[in-house]
Amino acid sequence: MIDRLTDVLSEVFGLRKDQVTSELTQNDVGNWDSLKQMDLITSIEREFEITLEIQEIIRMNSVANIIGVLQEKGVNIGA
Amino acid sequence: MELENSVVLVTGGAKGLGLAISTYLQELGSQVVVVDVDSEALASVSKTFDCHLLNVTDPDNVKVVVKEVIKKYARIDVLVNNAGVIFSEPMVNIMSPSNIMHDYSRFRDSIVVNMDSVFIMTSAVVEQMVMSRGKGIIINISSISACGNEGQTAYSAAKAGVNAMTISWSKELARLGIRCNAVAPGFISTDSTQAALNENILTHIKNSTPLRRLGETQEVAQAVGSLITNDFMNGVILNVNGGLTI
Repeated sequence: MIDRLTDVLSEVFGLRKDQVTSELTQNDVGNWDSLKQMDLITSIEREFEITLEIQEIIRMNSVANIIGVLQEKGVNIGA
Repeated sequence: MELENSVVLVTGGAKGLGLAISTYLQELGSQVVVVDVDSEALASVSKTFDCHLLNVTDPDNVKVVVKEVIKKYARIDVLVNNAGVIFSEPMVNIMSPSNIMHDYSRFRDSIVVNMDSVFIMTSAVVEQMVMSRGKGIIINISSISACGNEGQTAYSAAKAGVNAMTISWSKELARLGIRCNAVAPGFISTDSTQAALNENILTHIKNSTPLRRLGETQEVAQAVGSLITNDFMNGVILNVNGGLTI
């Protein structure tokens, strides 16, 4: 996973970077609530210069799904 | 946010303070949508504004009207929660021996019309703002009574609740691009103020106010305009009271 997304997730949820894996889901992160979700969304939008639709935001409940949405929007997330 | 071409919905906007706010914002180029429960007042301004009959305490009615506005303009940029009714009743009325205590149903009614309505309107409008990922501004019209006013238990409690919601929303919704502020007028020269307070009390208020006068509706409208146009103002309860509380 690219560093930029790892940095965003790490900063929003207060995780160490090595804790941010593609298997990570909302259930694994204690403070991943609806308010944090919007913090995450605004951080992602700012970092990748995109605008997310509400249905995309709802889907983004795991790192894998976040990557999926970003790829669909044409964001180059690397390996 | 620029006032020009912004879509502003003003509740209780057909008369009094609400009409002054609507007129001021429209003169500065906003597309103002007026909603009011008073059909006669609404009819009197229907040639000036886009008007909708609305009971802001009815969630279903609110949803229908908000959808109509969205359908017409595609968005609501600013919601001004102005609708409300000044209500005064002492907690103990010793002159009414058969029923000396503040009536509970009237307490509830005042809370519903002055506080619940703000929640209902904001909920419906913010939902549209969020779904469209648009930015927006909520302006709540509070009152000097929010800090507690004798003879106004219900009205004061409702307006204190409005202030609390304003702060909560300003913290919670900012991440969505939605700012929330309030204007807390002091004693303003309106028909409702004249009706609610006798001449002796008005004279006492003027003498207690450093500026020695009542406020004008235009001055409250100007405060609303400032909170809309200044993009760094969020979570502000803006007192417009001539210095009465200092």
